[in-house]
Amino acid sequence: MPASFDKLAAKAEESVDVTLDSNMLQLAGRFLSGQDADQAKAKKIVAGLKGITVRSFTFKQEGEYNAADVDAFREQLKAPAWSRVVGVTEKNGEREEVYLKTSSGSQIGGIVIISAEPKELTIVNLSGDISVDDLGELGGQFGIPKVELPKSKGKEE
Amino acid sequence: MSQMDDALREALRREAAPEGFAERVMAKVGREERQATKSDDLSHWLLAAFRRPQLRWATALAGVALAIGTMEYRNEAEKRAEGERAKDQVMLALRITGGKLRLTQAAVRRIQYAPREQ
Repeated sequence: MPASFDKLAAKAEESVDVTLDSNMLQLAGRFLSGQDADQAKAKKIVAGLKGITVRSFTFKQEGEYNAADVDAFREQLKAPAWSRVVGVTEKNGEREEVYLKTSSGSQIGGIVIISAEPKELTIVNLSGDISVDDLGELGGQFGIPKVELPKSKGKEE
Repeated sequence: MSQMDDALREALRREAAPEGFAERVMAKVGREERQATKSDDLSHWLLAAFRRPQLRWATALAGVALAIGTMEYRNEAEKRAEGERAKDQVMLALRITGGKLRLTQAAVRRIQYAPREQ
């Protein structure tokens, strides 16, 4: 994650910073219950992951972060290692992007989500093996309706 | 002067202690000693045991085992707290991920179903 994100955290009204390496994920996996549906699903997803990084900033006003803050991070997500599977820019300035790290078979080597809204910026990076099914169900778990990811790599922009 | 001498002599004259005074004093001293011993029972017992050659090793081993047990207990408690924190962070991270995927899907749908301009 770019160092500029630390400055954004100082400006933000609220910020979330989750950084978990493989050791911490293993530790968390031991404490995730198999009885609870959400935790059981999380346990399955976490088993293949090497790291989780989430940075989310909520600002009081629009324009408190600029595109350059995100561009520096986006620069790292280049082909052939990464491919952008979804990129949506809306009239109100919202921009949603999903990048997948190419891997063999039905496994994905990692996923990055960039969600840039006028007053909120969120970057999610799940690195490690994650199956397409797990990814599709990820949105359907945790009290959120199921996500159907587009099968083609077509861009919506 | 002689009056003062007489008064002093009278005040300081040797008088026999009341009956049982010595026994009561000794009984009180004994009681206080026993109370002091009771409060330091464990340390006294350990010291006493350590002074006995045949118990010296056993006492030392018991002390080491107690120290190791306490440390293990503390480590386990710290590890449990760290694990619970990591679990909460995983759940938060996956909730945010799920929410953002849903947001992306909704944005894609809005574009797919938006009326096309002629």
